[in-house]
Amino acid sequence: MISRRIFLSLALSLFGGWPFRQPGRAVGASFPHFFFTQLKYKGGDWDPNPLFVSTMAEEIELRTSIDARAERRVIALSDPDLFYSPFLYMAGRDEFDPFTKEEREVLTRFLTYGGFLFAEDTGGAGGTGFDRAFRREMAMILPNYPLKRLPPDHSLYQSFYLIRTLGGRRQVNPFVEGASIDNWTPVVYSQNDLSGAWSRDKYGKWVHECHPGGEPQRKAAFMTGINIVVYCLTADYKKDLIHHPFIKSRQKT
Amino acid sequence: MNEIMNLEQMTIDPVFPLWLIMLLFGLGLAAALIQYGMNRDRLGKRRSLALALLRLGAISLVVAIALNPSLVVTKAQKIAPTLAVIVDTSRSMGQAAPQDKASRLDHAKALLTAGASPLLGALSQNFEVSLYGLADSLTPLTTDELGRLKAGGNKGNISEALKTLGGKRTLALLLSDGNLRLTEGELPQLAAITVPLGNPDTFRDILIKEIRAPSLAFRDREVSIDVTIKSYGYKDLTLPIFLRDGGKQLMAKNVIVPSGPGEVTARLSFVPAEVGRINLSIAVPTQVGEHIVTNNRAGFSLKVVRDKIRILMVSGTPSMNYRFLRNALKSDPTLDLLSFVIMRTPTDILNVPTQEQSLIPFPAETIFTKELPNFDLVIFDNFDYSLFLRPPYLESLRKFVREGGGFAMIGGPNVFKEAMNGLSPIGDMLPFHFAEQEFYRRDGPVRVRLTQAGARHPIMRFSGDFRKEGAALRPLWQEMPPLDGINLVDAKKSATVLLENAGGIPWPVLTVSEHGKGRVLALTTDYAWKWYMGMVAAGKGTQTYLLLMHRMVRWLTKDPRLDPVQISLPETPPKAGQEIDVRVQFQADDPARRTETAVTYEVINPDGIKIESTLKPVSHTGQQLLSFLPEQAGIYRIRIDTPQGRLEESISLAGPLDRLDGAPDHDQLRRIAAATGGQFAPPDGNLLKTIEGYGKKREKQFTSESNLPIWATPLVMAIILGLLSLEWYLRRRWGLI
Repeated sequence: MISRRIFLSLALSLFGGWPFRQPGRAVGASFPHFFFTQLKYKGGDWDPNPLFVSTMAEEIELRTSIDARAERRVIALSDPDLFYSPFLYMAGRDEFDPFTKEEREVLTRFLTYGGFLFAEDTGGAGGTGFDRAFRREMAMILPNYPLKRLPPDHSLYQSFYLIRTLGGRRQVNPFVEGASIDNWTPVVYSQNDLSGAWSRDKYGKWVHECHPGGEPQRKAAFMTGINIVVYCLTADYKKDLIHHPFIKSRQKT
Repeated sequence: MNEIMNLEQMTIDPVFPLWLIMLLFGLGLAAALIQYGMNRDRLGKRRSLALALLRLGAISLVVAIALNPSLVVTKAQKIAPTLAVIVDTSRSMGQAAPQDKASRLDHAKALLTAGASPLLGALSQNFEVSLYGLADSLTPLTTDELGRLKAGGNKGNISEALKTLGGKRTLALLLSDGNLRLTEGELPQLAAITVPLGNPDTFRDILIKEIRAPSLAFRDREVSIDVTIKSYGYKDLTLPIFLRDGGKQLMAKNVIVPSGPGEVTARLSFVPAEVGRINLSIAVPTQVGEHIVTNNRAGFSLKVVRDKIRILMVSGTPSMNYRFLRNALKSDPTLDLLSFVIMRTPTDILNVPTQEQSLIPFPAETIFTKELPNFDLVIFDNFDYSLFLRPPYLESLRKFVREGGGFAMIGGPNVFKEAMNGLSPIGDMLPFHFAEQEFYRRDGPVRVRLTQAGARHPIMRFSGDFRKEGAALRPLWQEMPPLDGINLVDAKKSATVLLENAGGIPWPVLTVSEHGKGRVLALTTDYAWKWYMGMVAAGKGTQTYLLLMHRMVRWLTKDPRLDPVQISLPETPPKAGQEIDVRVQFQADDPARRTETAVTYEVINPDGIKIESTLKPVSHTGQQLLSFLPEQAGIYRIRIDTPQGRLEESISLAGPLDRLDGAPDHDQLRRIAAATGGQFAPPDGNLLKTIEGYGKKREKQFTSESNLPIWATPLVMAIILGLLSLEWYLRRRWGLI
């Protein structure tokens, strides 16, 4: 199946004469640069939005230069490949079983030394069993780095889009939370069910409606998702001095 | 030497206690009287008296011997005063007034040895004269040596000299221009008559007295150098001071020198543009009537280092490789990273107005036409530069590397294969060719192994302790997690492969080479971040990845700390004519020793000629002392060729007259005379009288005393025996025996 990127390149080449060439494309590539790794945990529902991957990967491909693959790898905390996951994703609505001591140690090491976890409560109401269980686990995994609201000037809100409004299937919070270690936030937590807004079935139909904002809220959810992915791959790049004047001037308009 | 003898007194020194001697004398007298009484009736009064007197005489002489009398003899000797004639032979004594061909030293020699009545000959009449030269040390001289004497050496220490001579000499005669060191607080015991040479009133000179410059400067940061100019004999002169780097003038500044002897200090500043040792000079133009022109120029060296290594990194896409490399570079405070991440390519579609996205245009033109020289290292990380960089920019990058910059290519699927042939600027620089057809592969895990060259390369020697690493490095790389993708390349012949694919075809993974004055590195994978997380997963820390990245940067930017051989120059500025020892430190342990034996040295003098140098053994392992004798002032280059390449250091040597303050300092001579109880005596007709007057005051007599024994002689013993024999004869004749 032809990807949207290739289709657009060909179209522009034909109509505009612009020699849009593909960047050196690997032959027989099977391991993409970016893919989602979803954490499978015990108890509760570890996979509330199984259909978000292809839409989100396509969106990443379409909007950014990231070489994303519509591929999801499901992994347990005991799997050593966890450490090679660019983007660890964890979602749920219900309370889940406490992690074992070994699982907590693995996750502590992963997050302390460079790993990234995006977790979301997909219940769409806040205060769900998942929310309670996740906060409990995080308090034990990173006891010195509690979950806090990320300030409006956090790199996550500026990594690709200048995010003013967070999207999601529901707008539970106008912010995301995170556990930050120095200038790096290895844990990002949302309760707006972003993946619910990203999910589309095999016929191309959205799985969930977005309330109360409708399609603009869905668009904002994709923008937030892209920002989280770009933040995961660039950290506080947007805090470099060279970006300051541009971001300031655009935020004023 | 005159002698006077005096017999002043007689003394006794009894061999027995005096009372015993007197008792024996009394007993002898009594015995003689008894003998007289006994013999008077038999022999008559006269004969009896004669025998008694003979016995009494013998007894008296024995008693006199026992008393041991002697005469005290005193001899007084008159000694001629000793005079140490000290001739100042330091450099300033070689100066002559412009209208005078004879130097100050020549005048001193003429005063002592020339003319109808040379001073040295006249002094020898009344003094015991010894001759010395004084510069760096006090040196005894003969009269012949005085004639051949030449000025040279540093200011002499007159305090030390007078102290050395003080115990043996009575008077010192010092001929000098006053350029002497006098240690404060010490008053030498030897009176010095100081004879001034040179004329301070007619002396005219401009000299660079002092240069205060930091020994270390940072590139692109202003360096200030304070220069003190001293002048003699010029009035309100406006003088330009030039700061030069070889023939290139860096700065000029005008100062007004004060009238009469005086100093003025000026601050000159410049911004060093390149790292390394630079040899600078300060110069002032020669003025009319100057006595010394060589001190109008002074050289010094400055080591310029980077305050920070400035890195430009352009990443073709947000990626784990970018984030981990960025974190590694940001974790080192000596690195200054400016990075650009290509967030979207022309094929990516933006669905929001510009105001709602944070992307900035990649300022390729500004960077590659203006700013490139401000960086030390450029990194392309999985970057398809063909979309953003026009050919002139690539040419700028090649020029940047040729002129000493560093360039690193991190691989991945985005690298622009078509431009990588040898004809393109980037392809020309890179240490590899792409393999045919396929240029990036992600079809299987790639484990890497350290090559033999890699094990020796500075990038891979993480701690500098090679013996440990030799055993530890290979297993370390063997246990690294496999890479998910590599570019398939062939190393150029001129390149060195440090890491390669461990299974199947040994595709190079980490390759280095040189290009012009710069260095190039290719890490042909976008999965190096797995080396970081792999070690985290194994619970082994993150140091391997961080060290590798830091050392890659330092090697690319030629950080001297990574050099296998370190050169340490002498801390104190050396001078021409003095042997110089340069310390050469090798990396320790076995491979380094092999390096050590394969090293060759060269010392090139300012004329570009190789001069003799010797290696001295030192006790420290892996260290050598390179020694050479520079005969002239100027810049000497020290070249060390190692199997890893050539190292070059340069050292700037001052000439003998550089910075020489040759003004006569007669006040110093007055101070010396006053401090020693001597006299400041100009070289006129009264000089001899003055010296002789001081000599008379210090004439000395030597008195000796000896004892002359009176009775303890063989004659007295013969008299005693004679008296006793005569007594025995008379007794026999007169019938008593």
